[in-house]
This record gives sequence, C-alpha cells and structure tokens, in this order.
Amino acid sequence: PLKENARKKNPNLMDIVYGASGSLATPLINENHDTSDDEESDEEEFFKPKGEQSKNLGGGWDVGYVNSEDCSKFLNYGYLKNWKEKDVCESIRDRFTTGDWSK
Amino acid sequence: MGKAKKMKGSQSFRQRLLLSTLSSTRITIDEIRSDDMIPGLRPHEISLLRLIETVTDDAVVEVNETGTQLKYKPGIIMGGKNLVHNCALSRSIGYYLEPLVVLALFGKKPLSIRLRGITNDPRDPSVDTFRSTTLQILKRFGVPEEGLDLKIEARGVAPDGGGEVFLTVPTVKTLTAVHWVEEGMVKRIRGSTFSTRVTTDFEHSMRFAARGIFNNLLPDVHITLDHRAGSQAGKSPGYGISLVAETTTGCYISADTTVSCLRTDETELDVEKKERLPAEDTGAEIASWLLHEIEKGGVVDSTHQGLLFILCASCEPDLSKVRVGTLSPYGVETLRNIKEFMGVQFTIKPDPLTGTVILKCVGSGLVNLSRKLS
Repeated sequence: PLKENARKKNPNLMDIVYGASGSLATPLINENHDTSDDEESDEEEFFKPKGEQSKNLGGGWDVGYVNSEDCSKFLNYGYLKNWKEKDVCESIRDRFTTGDWSK
Repeated sequence: MGKAKKMKGSQSFRQRLLLSTLSSTRITIDEIRSDDMIPGLRPHEISLLRLIETVTDDAVVEVNETGTQLKYKPGIIMGGKNLVHNCALSRSIGYYLEPLVVLALFGKKPLSIRLRGITNDPRDPSVDTFRSTTLQILKRFGVPEEGLDLKIEARGVAPDGGGEVFLTVPTVKTLTAVHWVEEGMVKRIRGSTFSTRVTTDFEHSMRFAARGIFNNLLPDVHITLDHRAGSQAGKSPGYGISLVAETTTGCYISADTTVSCLRTDETELDVEKKERLPAEDTGAEIASWLLHEIEKGGVVDSTHQGLLFILCASCEPDLSKVRVGTLSPYGVETLRNIKEFMGVQFTIKPDPLTGTVILKCVGSGLVNLSRKLS
C-alpha cells in the first residue's frame, strides 16, 4: 500500500497526459458522465444544461469531456493565500530581484 | 490530404481547427453538443470558422442542419492586408486571437486585420494580456518584432461589445526551437486598468489594492489607467485589470479579469460569485493570482501553456526544452491534440526540487509552404 500511495502522490506525468502504455491516448475521457449523470439526475437537475455538469466535475484533470468548454485561461485558483501578510510574501521573496540572490 | 480525422464534441475546437490547418489534415467533428438543450455549434464557433475562411483560400466548411456535425477541409493560409472580422459576442476577441496569431505566422502574406467585439472578458485572456504577454512569447521563437502588434482602438465589454483592435502578424518560414528553462526573478510588475461607461473610481480602487499587495515585494510596479469615453468605450459598462510580471530572463507572467456590469448570462465565474465584488477586492484578487503564478514557477503562466507547447511542436526539427509550473488542464489537452495532429510527443518530467515540470520535444519541422511560393 505504501508504494501505491507514493505512486498516487507522484504519478507518471507521461501516463497522465498520454495514457499508460498500451491503453488509449486519452484515458481520462469522461464519456461515462453522460450515463451516470442521466441516472442520477432528479427533476431539479433535469433541465440543467449539460455544459454545467461538466463544470461541476471540478476541473483538475477532467479535461477530456467531449463537450468541455474551450478556454485557455486558467481560473481554478481555489483558495488563495493572503498575500497582504508580510510572512506570506516572504515565501516567494527569492523569486524577486529584491530577494536573496545568493541562494 | 488523405482521410479525414474523426473527432467528437466541442472540446478543443480552436486547436483542432488550427492544427488541422497547419498540418493540412481534414477533420470531421461529430456529436457537437448533440445532447444539449441547444445543440450544435455556438455563435463564436461559427464566427471563428468565418474568420478562418477570411484568412485562408479554398477552405471548405460544411455544417449540418443542427450544427452538431462539422466537416472542415483546410485551405491555404493567405493572410492579407486590412481585413475585417466581426467577432460573435458569445466570446471575447481573445478567444479568436489565440488561434489566429499562430495561423497567421504561416500565411502567404503578413496579416493585418481589424477585429470587432468584446476586448475584455473574464473567460479569455484580455487584449492587454495578449499585448503584454502573448506577443512576447512568440518573439522567443524567432517571430520578428517588426509587424507584430495589437492596437486597442476601442474597448468593449459584454454583453454588447463595441470594442475594436487592429492586429498585425508577420509571416515566418520556420519557428526557432527554444531552450527556455530559467524563469529568472521578477524585476518589475506592469499593468493597466480600464473602464468603459463607468467612473474611473473603479480603476483607482483596483490599482490601489493591487499595488498594496505588491508593496511588500518590490518597488518597481506601474499600473496605468485607461479610461475610455464616447465611441472608444464600446456599448456596455465595465472595468478590468491586467497585470504582468517581467523577469530577469525575459519571461512574462500574466493575470487579468474584467467585470461586465450588465452581463446576464451565467458564466462559470458568476455562478460562484452572484454578487459583484467591490473593485478593490477585484484588484487584490488579480494581484494574488499573479503572485500565485509566480510561486508556481515556469517560464510562462498557466494560461499560456497551450501556446507554448504548440510553438515548441511547430519548430524546426530541433530539440526544445521548456519549464512550466503545474501542468494546467488546457496544457494537457494541448499536448494530446499536438500528438494527434502533428505526431509530436513530449517527454514530460517533474522537477521535484522546484515543483515544476520540464518538457522536451523535437519540433515537427513545420515549414511555411505558401510563403515559399511567393
């Protein structure tokens, strides 16, 4: 199990992008969403445009949905650090010319 | 041209058209939103097809009655002077610029085109970001600075647009491979705010809040104001902010957003934030996005990963090596599309020390054939 955890934490990026060797190139295509969503949908959800369902899937690696929105802009910032705090800023100080160059 | 590639759905619509054209591959796309209440192609997608027809010769576009099927046979990329295109208002001009600028590089003649529509919108990179960041990335790959420009003649936000930009793109014979892994250190932050048909107070608030966030980090921050009035302000009220961090190694990291005061349709953004934030919160938020992108590392921001990968894959057949922060969903989608159309597969390795990702590929050796003819 330890090994598995490590694998999950550090997945092979080639596999994630192109699919594990031997399998289809896009293993993450969520074509199943169609069926599962239909089954689960109650009346309230019935008239929900399909596009919104795909949005609710939470982004992340879910990029294979066949009718997903075509947007390059990254918006999934989620929780943002409070950059107004000096201490928080210090964590990226070295990414600035004002930082410690010797590091 | 061989058999048509068969694909499904509306995903990656722009990249599919772009890569299909660059690789002279016919495509057939089925089941475009076939289960939606309103099935088929959206106005912006139809508008993009018209735009491609405007800058190419002999392209064949066939759409079925419901708009759920598209057959596209790419033509020759022509470019041309003083073209005009009215962009559908369901997406902003940034949506159209992204594929257009790459397409135009491989045209027979340099492109100059007037695009009318929405210049600033939260869903697409703003025209300001396109100027400050996107064009800079192109230069890295050997695109000449001369003739590469975007002028913002009038601003326009959703829902009614009324903005206008003038884009010029030179042609290239090939793109030059890059070894681009050092993101360097941020030496200055630049930006601009704009307002159309509302008071400049919004701009001052956004600028003040954004500057406040950067105060702890560096002094060299300049954010200009661009209040537009009259015919230069489009048809709808709104305001926005675009920021860019410039590093010592010539990397440009961007973040932007727009608030369209009269937008009624529910975009992904509005679903979460029913009530409009005060302008100072918008300024602080975009400044925080920028710092988040800087923290992630990489030579481009998350939004520009797709462009970066397409340029690498289109280069002369030399090795390109680039560093990005976390792979973005759009970046992943792009890598798959590149493999599908150009047969280029990247080597992708995490760099555990910095939490970044290194990608390498050998360019497909895309040569501008139509340019050679002239």
